[in-house]
Amino acid sequence: MEVISTQLKKNYGAYTALDVDQCSIPSGESFGLVGNNGAGKTTWFRCLLDLIEPDQGQVTIDGKPTKDTDAWKSFTGSYLDEQFLVGHLLPEEYFDFVASIHGISESDLKQKLDGFETLFNGEILGGKKLIRDLSKGNQKKVGIAAALLFDPKVLVLDEPFANLDPSTQIRLKELLKRLKEDRGVTMLISSHDLNHVTEVCERIVLLEKGKLVQDIRTSKETLKDLENYFAGIATKGVETTTEGPTSSDA
Amino acid sequence: MKNLLRITRIEMMESLRSPIWHRRVLVNIFLVLTFLYLAGNLLVLGVFLDDIFVKIPVDGIDYKTYGTSFVLRKLDRFLLYYFFIDLILRYFMQKLPAMAIQPYLHLPLRRSTLVHFMLVKTIWSPFNLLQFLIFIPFFFEVFENLSFGQALGWTSGFTLMVFVINYGLLYLKRTSDVDTRVYLGMLAVLALLIVSDWYDWVDFQHISALLFNGLFLHPWTALVPALLLVGAYLMNYQYIRKNMYLSRLSKTKRSEVSYVGSGVLSYFGLVGRLTELEFKFIWRNKRPKSVLMITVLFLAYGLLVFPNPQYDGNYYMYILFSIIITGMFMMNYGQYLLGWEGSHFDHILARNVSFRDYYMSKFLLFAIVSAAAMILGIPYVYFGWEILAVVFCVFLFNLGVNSHIVMFFGSMNPKKIDLSQGTVFNWQGVGAAQFLLVIPVMGFPVGIYALGALIYGPVGGYIFLGILGILGLAGTRFWIGLLASWLKRQRYEIADDFRNQ
Repeated sequence: MEVISTQLKKNYGAYTALDVDQCSIPSGESFGLVGNNGAGKTTWFRCLLDLIEPDQGQVTIDGKPTKDTDAWKSFTGSYLDEQFLVGHLLPEEYFDFVASIHGISESDLKQKLDGFETLFNGEILGGKKLIRDLSKGNQKKVGIAAALLFDPKVLVLDEPFANLDPSTQIRLKELLKRLKEDRGVTMLISSHDLNHVTEVCERIVLLEKGKLVQDIRTSKETLKDLENYFAGIATKGVETTTEGPTSSDA
Repeated sequence: MKNLLRITRIEMMESLRSPIWHRRVLVNIFLVLTFLYLAGNLLVLGVFLDDIFVKIPVDGIDYKTYGTSFVLRKLDRFLLYYFFIDLILRYFMQKLPAMAIQPYLHLPLRRSTLVHFMLVKTIWSPFNLLQFLIFIPFFFEVFENLSFGQALGWTSGFTLMVFVINYGLLYLKRTSDVDTRVYLGMLAVLALLIVSDWYDWVDFQHISALLFNGLFLHPWTALVPALLLVGAYLMNYQYIRKNMYLSRLSKTKRSEVSYVGSGVLSYFGLVGRLTELEFKFIWRNKRPKSVLMITVLFLAYGLLVFPNPQYDGNYYMYILFSIIITGMFMMNYGQYLLGWEGSHFDHILARNVSFRDYYMSKFLLFAIVSAAAMILGIPYVYFGWEILAVVFCVFLFNLGVNSHIVMFFGSMNPKKIDLSQGTVFNWQGVGAAQFLLVIPVMGFPVGIYALGALIYGPVGGYIFLGILGILGLAGTRFWIGLLASWLKRQRYEIADDFRNQ
């Protein structure tokens, strides 16, 4: 499933949160999005998932615009933040519900959840805590698992590694790599963590203040290059201090 | 002592800076007027309280036998009930003021100061003060009719009792978990008391009179409630002192919940599943749950009107009260239709469920609760078949017309609801739409009735309402289609609002 973003632009007042001419992500690509806070990563993903309306341009998945259509939702798994979780449910109940929307049988669901056993590390299932009472990290696990539950062909994750413990980060990386190799899932992943994202993604796009500034194939040198790039911003300083008014990326 | 004042000052600043004041002025004016109106009602009730009790006939208590104290003697017979009902209401509604001390725990303040602060603060609870609006005018009467000593005994005894209830309840709530079963149990005990009084098994009125008459017959007995108050206060004090650790006092209990799988409602397919989730939502969150509890209380609302000879044959009142009986839930819950789900609205947008199904599930929820209220309302037939006919016709109208109107208003300009807060005196999420809602939901049916009654008489009036309800019900798919396309157009704006709230 190919994801194409065309002429995408989003302003908040005079502030430009996102302004990307053209970017296509071919089917089966693992696509990493990096940038500082306020660079427009989440804004981009929200436009993609039809959660905010861009001022201009559109995103298509499999040739069809995501705006005003629903078909893409049946094969696109996504998790951006806690807004995606229904806090008053137990994780099992939430999975149940997502599964029923996608017409997954109970036995298939069980098998699926067994597959997440290592990711969950025994902390998610069988407990009596509602999702809203879980820790940030465990909430994230629930959200990611729910996004993967129905074997999506496209996967959109915002900061999947943040708040996770080191072991889970490693497990998640393995999981994502397997998804790409075994099933050819098109993956869009944003991250602050250059280490992880260069490990998982074959292509890295760098955003700065809403603009696409670099688009690179991941190689051995990529991590070093990126580190140098952000170190440069850190010493220059000035440009990064202008934060957007409403588009918090965190 | 100085520190106590400092904390008090900071706490007062908190209420002055409360987000309430940042709301639109119009809404605040309306709220203030509503409050003044209610307070005025209580005051008027207080002024006429003695006149009311003069008229209530009680065997053997009249002016001839008891002179100027006879009104008070009548009142005293009911005070036991009064305080018991007060306790039940408070158990359900009064909040524990535990959270407020957290920011001070790490500061070098004496623990006892903090505990006293917490306890003294509860005096200002509206649950204590509002009842004095009724009783202060009455106190004047008491002083006029009795000797100073007697009057002082009774009034101070009564005042002390109010605070005994206050601290007694706080202790009860602190030491045990708030449980719906306890609440229902208390209601059952109250019913039992009334029944046993009615059939003269136990004369609670006599016991009540004995206790409270003592206050003015032997004014020194006012010491008893005083001692009770000291006792209740000290019990609270001891308990808090002992448990004064963050983890214990912050009552944000991690509720333990058992898994509930799909039930009967899955018969309705995806829509049924959604409705089921919504029932879980209501049951697991404080505020929507109290909306449901209040709905149960208001089932009895008709008792104020149907048996009342003053309203005999007053169909306008019948209709207004019938709207409440079967429509209380949809109005009360539905006014925040989208606001309830403000914290996971992105989930609603991103999941593979159409807005049509989404609204259909809301409609199903209203229908189920309304129908349950209708079934529970069948005993109203006791007051005549016609009463039941009115309730039923209005039920149809609620289902077919009001439900859609409520859904529309609840989707307009929604505010995210903070679910952890209780419902009483909680104005969060209230906006102009909530006030406007009353006009179509209550005014429109009354207009329809008036029209029908003009042509065919009262029977025609309520049958009109029923027919309109059925017509509205037949058009459900159409109305829901309208709502769904409306939400589709507004979704970005609503989602954006929720993210920023």
